[in-house]
Formats: sequence, C-alpha cells, structure tokens
Amino acid sequence: MIAGVVRGREVTGDLVLEVDAVVVGTGAGGSVALRELARAGLNVVALEEGPCSTSGELTQREDEMLPLLFQDAGARMTQDLAIRVLQGRGVGGSTVHNTNLCKRTPDEILDLWARRYGVLGAAPGDLRPAFEAIERDLSVSEIDAPMRNANNDALRAGCEALGWRGGPLKHNRVGCQQSGFCELGCAYDAKQNALKIVVPQAVIAGARVYSDVTVLRLSHDGARVTGVHAEARDAAGLPRARVEVLAPVVVLAASAVGSPALARRSGVPDPYGQLGRGLRMHPGAIAAGRFDREIAGWRGIPQSYECTEHLSHEEGSDERVWIVPAFAHPIGAAATLPGFGAAHMAGMRAYSNLAVLTAMVHDETSGEVAVDDDGGPVLRYAMSEADRRQLAKGLVACARLLLAAGAREVTIPAVPALRVRTVAELERLDLAVIRPHSVPMTAVHPMGTMRMGEDPHKSVVRSTGEHHQLRGLFVADGSLFPTSIGGPPQISIYAFALHLAPHVVERARGR
Amino acid sequence: MMRAASDRTGRISRRRALGAGAALALVLAGATVAAVRTRGYAVPPGRRLVALTPWQFVVVRSAARRIAAPDREGDPSIPSADDTDVPGSIDLWVSRMHGRVRRDFGRFLAYLEHVAPVGAGFASRFTRLSPADQDAVLAALEQSPHDRLRAGFEGLKSLVFIGYYRDVRTWKLARYDGPLLARPLGGWR
Repeated sequence: MIAGVVRGREVTGDLVLEVDAVVVGTGAGGSVALRELARAGLNVVALEEGPCSTSGELTQREDEMLPLLFQDAGARMTQDLAIRVLQGRGVGGSTVHNTNLCKRTPDEILDLWARRYGVLGAAPGDLRPAFEAIERDLSVSEIDAPMRNANNDALRAGCEALGWRGGPLKHNRVGCQQSGFCELGCAYDAKQNALKIVVPQAVIAGARVYSDVTVLRLSHDGARVTGVHAEARDAAGLPRARVEVLAPVVVLAASAVGSPALARRSGVPDPYGQLGRGLRMHPGAIAAGRFDREIAGWRGIPQSYECTEHLSHEEGSDERVWIVPAFAHPIGAAATLPGFGAAHMAGMRAYSNLAVLTAMVHDETSGEVAVDDDGGPVLRYAMSEADRRQLAKGLVACARLLLAAGAREVTIPAVPALRVRTVAELERLDLAVIRPHSVPMTAVHPMGTMRMGEDPHKSVVRSTGEHHQLRGLFVADGSLFPTSIGGPPQISIYAFALHLAPHVVERARGR
Repeated sequence: MMRAASDRTGRISRRRALGAGAALALVLAGATVAAVRTRGYAVPPGRRLVALTPWQFVVVRSAARRIAAPDREGDPSIPSADDTDVPGSIDLWVSRMHGRVRRDFGRFLAYLEHVAPVGAGFASRFTRLSPADQDAVLAALEQSPHDRLRAGFEGLKSLVFIGYYRDVRTWKLARYDGPLLARPLGGWR
C-alpha cells in the first residue's frame, strides 16, 4: 500500500473536499497530471475507481488477477461482441498490467496531427523534452538480447530469415526477474510504472489519492466545471459514502473509454457531436506456430522484439500492421485456441511448444464510446474493410514469420480454423474468413475519443488539453489522440500529460 | 349526449377487454414458458448460487462437461469440469459482470437450452441430450452464421476455461509451470 493513498473502505462518512484540482484516474496520464499539480504547490486530489494493489497481492494467477486489475474482470467487449477490450483499473491504471513497452509517438503521427487536425505546440521538437523526462523517470532502456525469451526469439529468427524489418523494444523495468507474468502485474516491483514511481512522487509532493472511489458525474454550470460527485466503495464494491469534490479544475484521465463516458453522463456540452467519437483501439488477432522444440512462451519477458516490416505511420499507407509476440497463460491461451472438447484439450497438450504472434492494426476505423441507461460505457466499433484487410495481411505475415522460424504448423484461430504447414498452403488461404466475429480479436489500446485540436467542429479539447466549451475541464489520457498512433501508447500518454501540465497548473492557479 | 358517451364508453370497454384478454394470454403463455423452461433443474445439495439461477447452473454444468471434455477417456490424471468446479467458477464470474452483460449471458443460456437443439435437429432440451448430441449443438453454435451466437459461444467457452485452467491439476497436461511465486521445485509439470 502506498502511504498517502486512502482506500474507499477507510472513508468513514460522507466527504466534501475543496481543492484546486481533482484528477479522475491514476494511470499514465492521471498520475503525471497529479504529480505536476502537486509539485506546483497546488492542493490536488485524485480519485481512482479501482483498488490500490501492492506487489504482495499480485499472485500471478489469471483467475485472481483478471478481476483485480482489469475492467469488467477482463470481459469488456465492444457492443457487437466482436472485440475484447482489455483495460486496467486501479491505482496505476493499465501501467500495472501492461508489458512495459515504451515507444514514442512517431514523428509522422505528430506531424499529421498538426497538419490535419490543427494540433498546436505538439510537433516532434515540442514533445521531445517531455519524452526524455518521462523516460528518465521510468528508467526506460532497451531490452538486452540475453533477456529475449524463446517466443521473442522465434520472431527475431523469422524476421532474419525473411529479411524483414525488426528489432528490440524498449521497456521500463529495473530488477526484472523475467518471470513472464507482466500482464498480471509485477509481483517483484520491477515495473517502473505509475503505481510504483509517479503516484508516490505525487504523494510526496503533497497530493492526496483515494482508491475505490467511483466518479459518478462532473458538476458544471455549462461554462465552467466546478468539481465531481463520487461514491466511495467498500471492500465488496458496495457504495459506502458520498464524496463531493469542489474544484475549479477537473482533469479527466480515466482512459479513452472512461473519460468520454463520464463526460457524456455528466451532460458536458457537445455542440458539434464530437464527444466520444473517433475511437481507435489497435485491434489485433493472433497466429500460433507449433514447434518441435519447447518454447514455453510464458517464461521470460513477454514482448522484447517487434516486426515493423508492414508498419508505416505515413498518412494513407497500406502498411498498417505492427507485429509482436503475444503469449498468454493457460486460461488466455485456451480461450483463444480454436475448438472445444477433446480436440481442444489435445491442442492444449502442445501449449508449451507454441510460439504466438499478434498482428495489431494501426487502425483508421472510427468507433464511438456512448453510455447505456446505467451510465456505463458502450463501445461501438465496426471495423472497416480496409482495416479488416490489414488484419488479414498481418496474420498472414505472422504465419510467414512463424514458418520461417521453423514452426511445423501454424494455426490462425478463425471459424473455421486456418491451419498451414507451408508457405504454398498459406498463399492458398481464403482470407475472407479473417474478419470480426470469425477470429477472436483483442484490443488493448483505446484512444481518440476526446480529440485535441483547435477546431471545435472536429475536436473536443484544445491543444492545451482544455475542453472547448467547459473552462477548467482538462483531458490527460489517450482520449486526446486525434488518430491511432500505431504502437504502444503508454509513453505517449505519460508524455502528453507532462507536456500539457503547465496549462492545467496555470488554470488551477486561477489564471 | 348520454348515448354518445355510452357508445364511447362501450367501445373503450370492448377495446380494453380485448387488450386485457391479450395481455392475460401473453402473461399465461409467458408463465407457461417460464415454468417449462425452469422446471426440472436441480442443483447439488449444499450448492449456494451467487448469480446463476438453478436452471442456468444446470445448463452451464452440462456445457462445461462437453467444452472441457477430456481427450483421453478414462484417464484418471485428467480432472473433469466437475472436479474443478467449473460451474461454481462461472457462477462467481457472472456475479462480477456488468448488468447488461449478465442479462445477455442469461439469454444465451436460454437459447442454448431450448432453441439451439431444435436448430441442430433435436427435439429435446440441451441438458437432456446425449454427450455426442450436445457436442453437435455446441459445434453448430461455434460455426453459426449468426455473429452474436458465435460470440455467445466464445463467451461461454472463455468462462469454462477460466474455471478449468485455474486448477493446478490441469496445468500438467499443458506442461505449464504455474506461478513462479508458488512454483514447487521442478514445477507442476
């Protein structure tokens, strides 16, 4: 437990707090906004919906960590049930369960945002200091080759055999035990993330953090935000006390799903119908290669190598697939592998000989986050044909990589399952079956639902992160991004929150 | 005036009577369907359900036995879905679901029990079919041309495997080491 974090169960009665700023959410963006406000000497509080977990609570068991660390116990889906959306909850947000990948927003993307979406002050040169600072904070470094596990080495071998572009990734970990359980939270405190690094820095600087507190709605008068209404929950998740925070500045950092959902159920002005629109997710699917040798992909660092042969960040590119290893523990693997019953169990006997790659689409599909009658988020995302083709291309590329690395057979878990043993068989595949609802798809990078830009007809917040119509309401999470970024977003979210923090501080000081 | 009012009253009365009759018929039909749908299901003595109803529990138990069926019949080293209490795990998991998702899951179970067998050519509830026939119904759902039915099957499959592969006894067949924190010397394999 981080000193200074108050759990919902410890709130003994209804609470009214009067502060300079309140931050909703404590993931990559929220933690940085909180820290910077506190370091500026402001009275600031963060409210976090989920729990504050300690490394001692991270048991490396899927059945226990899914409900603890993930929204909807890992079962959040798009409305049409085609894509599973994995999102974190709890102090530290998704930085607690992610695989620690650190890639900056590509320059081409930042240029595109300036050129096409009217984002000011966020050119590559403008962002560089924020990237450098956050990378120092989180001890970002390249993953050494000796730390590459067999699954990642299969990707490297495939890239080298085909002459495809690939290379090592950077990460934010120190003292890594290479246990392989990153996506279930680090039991060894090796992740240099929001939970371990940034939130404690914020608390040291004077910030207060409440976990297990759900923000129900923002309060505002249509022109200015005035605070939030929230509910503290007990250990069983039941409402325990009301929490009202009076603040002239509210920073939304509840993710590209949670932030627009909260804004929508709060009646935040949206004169041009932009709020919640523009959802991107990097939807992905997997291909599994069966090798004669043991891979045991659950051991070691899950993602340390990438293939960028089919990834370009140029606008309008037809190469929009990012390929990385994606090994799952038994529950995740069993749910993804095709079939059921005896045949499925026979397939699970080969689990330790599988290498698994995922193709994530740098997507152009524009989805939406709406709210249902209960105020909960509804994710609408109908994958475009262009993106579907990218997914098919990516899965074929994964299969080629695995075959080139020596896989005896590659399975793409579509309906019906696609199995190939040679490149010739791969080339004869009917790729039309690779589509949503046919292949199990997962998305872990929602973004783009409260886009920044100077034109209120096309964006929700200004380039400063402040809402176009509601003074004092800021956004500091992946909602800000006008497009997909085509890579892991955590460093971009940290960096944008840091880059925009001076504007938040200035407003909280009453200017 | 009085006559007009009486006529009007009469028309309204007839309409109301017809409406009430139709509503009553619907209620009776619904009650009959509900009674038929939910009768004849018994949970094991001592089982306390958190989220599932008894009939849902029985449907889940039947489906879990087939979805996690062993690849080697009679092999005592393979735990069954009952051994690993997959239905109990699903009951707990459903209790954590968002209300909307929980309702959808309940509807899918009703479809699996009463409608899917008919679609696959059987004139019986899913839970009363032979294992081979249950497999045929599940396979039809897995391959269904309807996206939501396939999604429902995938959701059920995921819940079954959460319950099954959380159990240490299943790790051996997958040659999985288990959590490093609790791994015994030599692993679970």
